This record gives sequence, C-alpha cells and structure tokens, in this order.
Amino acid sequence: MKYFSFFFVLAITAALAVAVSIPLGEIPPIAPLLDPNHGFWQNSISEDQLAIEEIDLENLSAPVEVVYDQNLIPHIFAQNEADLYRAQGYVTAQHRLWQMEFQTMAAAGRISEIVGPIAIELDRMTRRKGLAYGAELGMKYLQENDPETLALIEAYADGVNQYISQLEEAQLPVEYKILNYRPEPWSAFKSVLLLKYMSDMLVGDRDLEFTNLRKILGQAKLDKLYPDFPTENDPIIEAERIWDFTAIPVAKPDSISYPDDLIIAEPLPQPEEGTGSNNWAVAGKKTKNGNPILANDPHLSLNLPSLWYAMQLSTPDLTVKGATLPGALGVISGFNDDIAWGVTNATRDTRDWYKITFQDDSRKSYKYGAEWRQANFRIEEIKVKGQDPFMDTVVYTHYGPVVYDRTFKSERQDLNFALKWTVHEGANEQKTFLLMNKARNHNDYNAALDHYAAPAQNFVFASASGDIAMRVQGKFPLKWPGQGKFLMDGADPRLEWQGYIPNSQNASTLNPERGFVSSANQYPTDASYPYYVFDNSFEQYRNRRLNRKLREMEQITVEDMMALQFDDYNLQASEALPVLTTLLGTYKSDSPEAERYLQELKSWDFFADPNQKGQTLYSIWSAETMESVWRELLDSKAPILRPSSYRTIELMATAPSDSIFDVASFEGVETAECHVRAGFDSLLVKMAEWEAEEGDYAWANFKKTTIQHLVPNFKSFSATNVYTGGGSGILNATGSRHGASWRMIVELGSEIKAFGVYPGGQSGNPGSRFYENFVPIWAAGEYLDFDLRAQQNAENVLFKTTLK
Amino acid sequence: MRFIFLTILTAILVVFLNPVAPFWMVMIGIAFLAALIYPNGFGGFLGGGLGMGLTWLGLCIYLGITTGSSLPDRMGELMGLGSGVTLIAITGVVGFLLGAFSGWTGVSFRNMLLKNPEDVYQG
Repeated sequence: MKYFSFFFVLAITAALAVAVSIPLGEIPPIAPLLDPNHGFWQNSISEDQLAIEEIDLENLSAPVEVVYDQNLIPHIFAQNEADLYRAQGYVTAQHRLWQMEFQTMAAAGRISEIVGPIAIELDRMTRRKGLAYGAELGMKYLQENDPETLALIEAYADGVNQYISQLEEAQLPVEYKILNYRPEPWSAFKSVLLLKYMSDMLVGDRDLEFTNLRKILGQAKLDKLYPDFPTENDPIIEAERIWDFTAIPVAKPDSISYPDDLIIAEPLPQPEEGTGSNNWAVAGKKTKNGNPILANDPHLSLNLPSLWYAMQLSTPDLTVKGATLPGALGVISGFNDDIAWGVTNATRDTRDWYKITFQDDSRKSYKYGAEWRQANFRIEEIKVKGQDPFMDTVVYTHYGPVVYDRTFKSERQDLNFALKWTVHEGANEQKTFLLMNKARNHNDYNAALDHYAAPAQNFVFASASGDIAMRVQGKFPLKWPGQGKFLMDGADPRLEWQGYIPNSQNASTLNPERGFVSSANQYPTDASYPYYVFDNSFEQYRNRRLNRKLREMEQITVEDMMALQFDDYNLQASEALPVLTTLLGTYKSDSPEAERYLQELKSWDFFADPNQKGQTLYSIWSAETMESVWRELLDSKAPILRPSSYRTIELMATAPSDSIFDVASFEGVETAECHVRAGFDSLLVKMAEWEAEEGDYAWANFKKTTIQHLVPNFKSFSATNVYTGGGSGILNATGSRHGASWRMIVELGSEIKAFGVYPGGQSGNPGSRFYENFVPIWAAGEYLDFDLRAQQNAENVLFKTTLK
Repeated sequence: MRFIFLTILTAILVVFLNPVAPFWMVMIGIAFLAALIYPNGFGGFLGGGLGMGLTWLGLCIYLGITTGSSLPDRMGELMGLGSGVTLIAITGVVGFLLGAFSGWTGVSFRNMLLKNPEDVYQG
C-alpha cells in the first residue's frame, strides 16, 4: 500500500511538473513563464535597476566606457572603430535583442520557425523576392571588395554574440519567453540582410497593375488618369538647377511589344501608404543665428519596440550621434561635430518584372533572344514550428527569381514572372554610413554616398562650415521613357535595363540660391533632367507645403523648424474642399445633420490638429467620394491601382463633366457632382454610426494613432489611441498606423545644438520604464536634448558601464 | 510543529535555490526537505505548498512594488486575465501546487522507506 501511495503521489507530481513545462497549443510553458525568479516577472525590472559598473567584453583592445543619460541613451567612448562597433553590437543587443533578431528572421523568411504554419505563405513570399539571396551577394561583395568593412561588421556581430552568451534566463526578453524560443547567434550576414529588409519596406512597384490598366483603359486614357509628371511639380532639386553633364543616350527599340494579357495574380505587398519622409536644410542666410539648420523626420510604420535606437558613438577621431537601426553599424540619420545628414525615401521604380517563357515543364531553360538560357534552382527549406519543413523551389533566371509561377499566387499554369531588382546586386550600403559618420565636409559626404545603392534615399546635408546640399542617391537603372512601367517580355533582350545612371549624374544640388534644400518623396527634378524617372507614388502635397513655408520663412530658429515638423496644415483639404462644396451645391440642405457638418467644415482652418472635427469630416467625405468615382474601375477582377488623390481632385476641379465620371452601369450620364453627393451621403451614414457608437469625432479620437508591437497580437504591448494630430499628405504625417518615426533638428554653429525624439523608448522591454517614455513627448511635438556629450560630462547621468 | 518547520525551510530553499535553479530542481529540493522533516502527509502537502506558494507570491508583489512596472498588467491583458493582480494570484497558486505535491511526495517517500515493525504479533 505504501509503495502504491508513493508512486501514485510521485506520478501526480511528475505529471504536474511536466504539464507546466510544456507548451499547450499557443500557450507557452506556464511554470518557466510564471516563475518569479526566471519568468516574465523579472522583465519588470528597468535597465537602471540592473546597471552593472563593469562587464566582461572580450576581444577589445582597450576598455570602452558607456555613459547613459537620463533617457537611457548610451554614449559609447572607445579608442578605435573595431572596439566601438563591438561595443555598439553589445549595447544594442542589451536593449533590443529580440527586435533585431525578429526583424532579420522576417527578412530571411523564417517567421514560421517562431509562429508555425500560419506564416508559411509570408515566408515563401519573402524568400521568393530574394532578400536573403541579395544579402548573400552583399556578403560576397564585402568579402571580395571591402574586407575592412566586413571586419567591422563582424566585430559588431561578436559584440551581439557575447551578450547572447552572457544572457541569463531572467533577463531574456519577454517575447522569447512568451513565444517560447531562444536567440540564435548573430552574424555579419544578418546585418547585411537588415539593410535589404529596409529596401523591402520602402520600395514597391505597380508593374502588374499598370499592365492590367493599360489593357482595360487603353494607353491614352491611362496617360490621362496616371500622368507621369504632376501638373504642379515642386521637385526636390530646385527647378533652376542646370544639368552640366552629358547624359548617356538611351534609345527605345523599335516595335517592341509588351505582354498584353490581363494578369490575375496577387501583386506583392507594397510599402504602406503613408510611408514617406521629410528632410530639409536651410542656409545660414535664412536663419537667425546665421548657422545652417537641418531637419529630418522619416515616416514609417509606428512600431514598438521602435525601429530606431538613439546613440552617441565616440572614438578619439569621431563623435557621432543620432538614430541607429538595431542590427546595423553606425548612425543612420544624425550628426557629428562638423556635419549633419538625414534621409527620405527616394521612391523610384527600381523593381521590374519580366515574363519568362520556359522551354518545357522542367523549367530548366528559358527563351532569351534566339537561344535557350539555363535557369538555376534554389531550394528554400522553410522550417515550421511543430511541423515538417516546407520545401519551395524557386527558379532563378539572369533577371532574378521567378516569384510568380504555377505554385505561387497564380491561377494560371503558364504564368512565370521574374523579378529584377537592384537589391539583387552586390552593394555596400553599410560603408556609406560608416563613412558618413566621420565625414567632415561636402566632399566626404559625396564620397560616402558613392557606395550607396538601395533603397534609394534623398540624403540631405548641412555642415558647420555653411554648406547645405541634397543628393538623390541610389543605383538607378537607365531606362527609356516608359520602360519598366509594365510587365516586359523576358525573351526579348532589347528590353533589358540599359545600364545605370552614373553616381555623378544622380540629381543633386549644393548651396542653391533659394537658401534651402528639401525633400518630401516628391518627383526629384523638373522636366529638364535628362533621364527617365518614374514612380506611381510621388508625393504631391507635403512637398508643396514644405517648400512654400521654407520660401517664406526668414530669420529661422530651431523652434521654427520644430513647428514645421509638427505642422498639421492639410494642403489637400484646402484645395479639395472648395471643389467638393461647390459640386455639392444645395444637396441635402434640408437635413440638420448635413447643415451642422457643412458648418463645421466651413469654419475649419484646414489644420489637422487632434481636436479638429473638420479634418474627420473631410477625410471621410473625400475618401468616400473618391471611392465612388473609381468604384467601377476597381471592380475589375485583375489587380489594378487607383489614380492618385491629387489627379482625382484635379479632374473634379477642371473637368467635372468628363466621361471618366460616367458610370456605365447606371442610367444617364454621371458627372463629378454625382460622386461628390454619393460621397456626402456616405459621410452622413458613417457619421451617424460613429456618433451613435463612439460619440466624439475629434480627429485624434477618429484616427486613433496606434504604435503597435511588432507582434500585432501582443496588443497590450502597444500604445493605443495616442492623442496627436497630423495625417497622410501632411508635414506631420502621423496617421493611424504611420508617421514620423524619428524627428531630428540640428543647428550647425560653432557649437552643435541638436534635438531629437521618436515614438517609443530606448528599451525594447515592455516591462521597462524606458519602453515608451518618449511617446507623450513625441505626441506633443516636443523634443529631447540631443547635444553631443563629452565623456567627463557628469550632468544627467543615469549610470555608467565599463566594458573590458 | 513539523509542518511549520517545513513551511519555513521550504521558503528559505525557494529564496536561495530558485534564483540559480529552475523550478523543477526546487521541487526535488522540497521533496527532500519533506522527507527529512517528515510531517504527516497533509502537513507535507500544506508545508511545501505554502512555503513555495507564499514565496512566489511575495516575490511577485516585491517586484511589483520595487519596479512599478506595467508588465504584470500588460501580461494579464495579453493572457486574457484582465489585470496583473490575477496573474499574481495565479503565480501563487501554481507555486503552491508545485510545492505541495513535492512535499507530499517527499513524505510518501519516507513512508515507503520505513520498515514495518517486526516485533508486533500480527496474528
């Protein structure tokens, strides 16, 4: 009996111990998670409570001191670059390990390893786009051409790995504990991959949609609805710029034919609408103190942990501060003692599609001119949590990977589209940032940019010596007008890219007469630039507002620049609302609600401030009107793209009776007026619903800005309903899920004055008091002091750590 | 008396061993303690349970007070439990169950090892 009772109790105890140690479906093992000594409770402790004075870091040539200011911004003081980047890797991993690994797992198409079969299609997509393939080529390029940079990237990786090997269970980031996996070693490859991931985030193309649109609308109507060049172009490089080089001639071949089928395939995900950025620099002659001032605010998805991590990096020869990308070396947008620089996305079509004709079902060779070319196969093994790996075979042509084929995103057996993208070519973006961090003048800045390929960026520049500059830098294919806008026939060698625009002929300007340089993702130049430039998503509003303000402003101060970054003026509304109200006429004038809304719109000053109701009404009315205008076009089974809001408003204003407004399925002839009224009806319906369910329709309450954790299901790790203004197409581009991911302003005098903020916090740990402590500051349009710090400065020090 | 002794020793064990060892090693330690101190079965169950459960509970509360972190509430919401207070209670209960069954196992182990008295006439 006593034997039985012992084994019985032992069995219960063992079963209990096992039950709380294993995952049950989506639920992670309970006991390790709840154990207050190792589980998530330990992640409640903030970094300053865990501060250690000395940490072992091997392979350093001299001790490195890390000084944290009161915002947990590390200032790293090392004796040389190798030590500096080793320490950068270590310190970044201390605060952002889970995020940097998760982002590169996403870039490598390895999310299924973490979350299971739900992510297989996403991983297949990522791999078929060839991001990892591009990173492998990037590594090869570094090995062959730039071993010095590679050695620094490896030092960074070593720093990360030493942190991982010292990491105790208690301090393991909480996401690992919840998702029940552990960090793997970091590598130089992952740093290279991260920069490819940025390309994926920022570069899109609409070739398939335009191919369908040309088939549906015909070339003439297509050109009318989607003009290549905006009517009121206010370009990045001032229109007065004279191009003093001889352009490489690009000849369009005679009688080319494009594949002309309707393509019913799901296009690749595009950069989210609202992804964009502003940057500008004003010359000393326009500022109050006579110093140049530079400003930058990249707009990206608003996420926690934030994409950015603020840092100062110092050696005896270099002191640089600004926003870093966890996983990449150096500062991406920042300043040093002599210069400041910033980035905005230089949208341009650098991604093209070729239709591949295979010889037979084996897909071993494809037609190219008169010959059959050999294809390569790349077997992608996607590991899946809780399942056998998923194997995906991707065919590679000399253009690039055949993304769409009979097994992926296609309803047709004979559909094979290969992707040609500058990301698939070896390049050395990391070198650009390493050189830029220590640049002293305009020449150094240009030399740094020569290494930069993708994602193309508008690099703004200002120096303490008084220069301001802008350069649109990327590896841009040479194309004849129209090339690459539509799907091309991969069997026709004449449709190849014609080479690349030389770096020296990329659009740029130095100290323009107008006293400022600026960019806001708009068309880069005026029509005189001798190369074909195309993209479907050039900005039409932020750029005009920005340049208008900069032209007007004199005696500029840092505070003026802060106000401009936070400017909520809705230029689109100021142009469109008069058109909408005119076309509406007296429609619904007998409805008291309609009267009330119209009154609110009439008294609105076009500023999308958080307490404004007019902005809410305008955003619904204009969206519903445009929806009505393009509904019939969008009914197409094949994927297509809507004409831009700018063009739609322009057509409503200038040609309200144009045939494009007619809806074939309705009787009679419709004009813009009908759509504006339909939009207004929808506004009334939506507002009635909103007022019944939510009540207040002030803009901040309506748009509900959310800064979302990288795992969208982890809702309680997100910051929701942040009270702030702005929106898409507005300088303060903060919409519901996108906006200024980093704001920086630098005045370059004899002493550098710098300010910065981002919507998040330095810690990646949701339990830390530094996780989202910048959010309220950012939401109110305020800044943190970002001045360079000297090592001995004892003011506002949170704690210090020596690595040795 | 033995039960109180077990409770106190278990709590000390959890405080000192748990930071460097996973929970299952602590469970084995509790079983040993229970076998050593040898209360009755119920005393082993309650002593081990209260010792571990209360220590876990206390640690959670201590961390909550010293850090002022919002993490317990965030985790509570994430797990669909509402607030962090529920999680503190659940952690205490899980600690209690693990400690209690370990204690009971230790006592049963000692019971099993005890020889039957040989000089008693059993008929």
